[in-house]
Amino acid sequence: MKTKIKELRKMHKLSQEELALLVGTTRQTITSIEVGKYTASLTLAYKIAHYFGLTIEEVFDFSEMNEEE
Amino acid sequence: MEEFRKKIKVNRILFMVFILFAVAFSIYNVFFISSTNGGSFDDGTVAGFQLGLILGLGFISALQFVRLSKALKDEKKLKILYNELHDERMILIRSKAGMPMLIITSIIMIVAAVIAGYFNITVFRTLVAAAAVQLVIGAAVKIYCLKTM
Repeated sequence: MKTKIKELRKMHKLSQEELALLVGTTRQTITSIEVGKYTASLTLAYKIAHYFGLTIEEVFDFSEMNEEE
Repeated sequence: MEEFRKKIKVNRILFMVFILFAVAFSIYNVFFISSTNGGSFDDGTVAGFQLGLILGLGFISALQFVRLSKALKDEKKLKILYNELHDERMILIRSKAGMPMLIITSIIMIVAAVIAGYFNITVFRTLVAAAAVQLVIGAAVKIYCLKTM
């Protein structure tokens, strides 16, 4: 799944480790989500979106899922 | 986080107890068992395996003890440790690799192997080999999942 986490991180001048610490996960998980290897759970997606002050749909791209349907 | 801190303190004490046990067992094994045993190859194999196993686990316990001690002194390290242990991706990977049941069954098999070793060396070797293969497969699956997830 594509996400805007990398762009948002850069906008907020945050490293992966800092974001991981803020949302209660590990740097490796943030890396995996950014490269699309791992899909975050609803809880983690909410925490990330909430940290950036956005909705889940604004951070995570669900268009591929909609195409599959 | 206070609950987690308490849990880490308890774990640190358990690691310390195991380190002391490993040291005491090693001293006993080196100075008392080998001198009185001195017997067959099979006896040496089981005793040597026991000593190696306890020393190896003692070494791992020492590393964990240092890691936990460092985390308890630094709030950021404690938070990182908490996140590592409660990370959803790692929990998923561990579950795909069959943890913690794989570790539990391996420990049971190794304990059974050590006991069986005093009666039948073939059973000892079979159980140790089975436990080793089981652990290697678990580790391989975990590494694969870490790379692909």
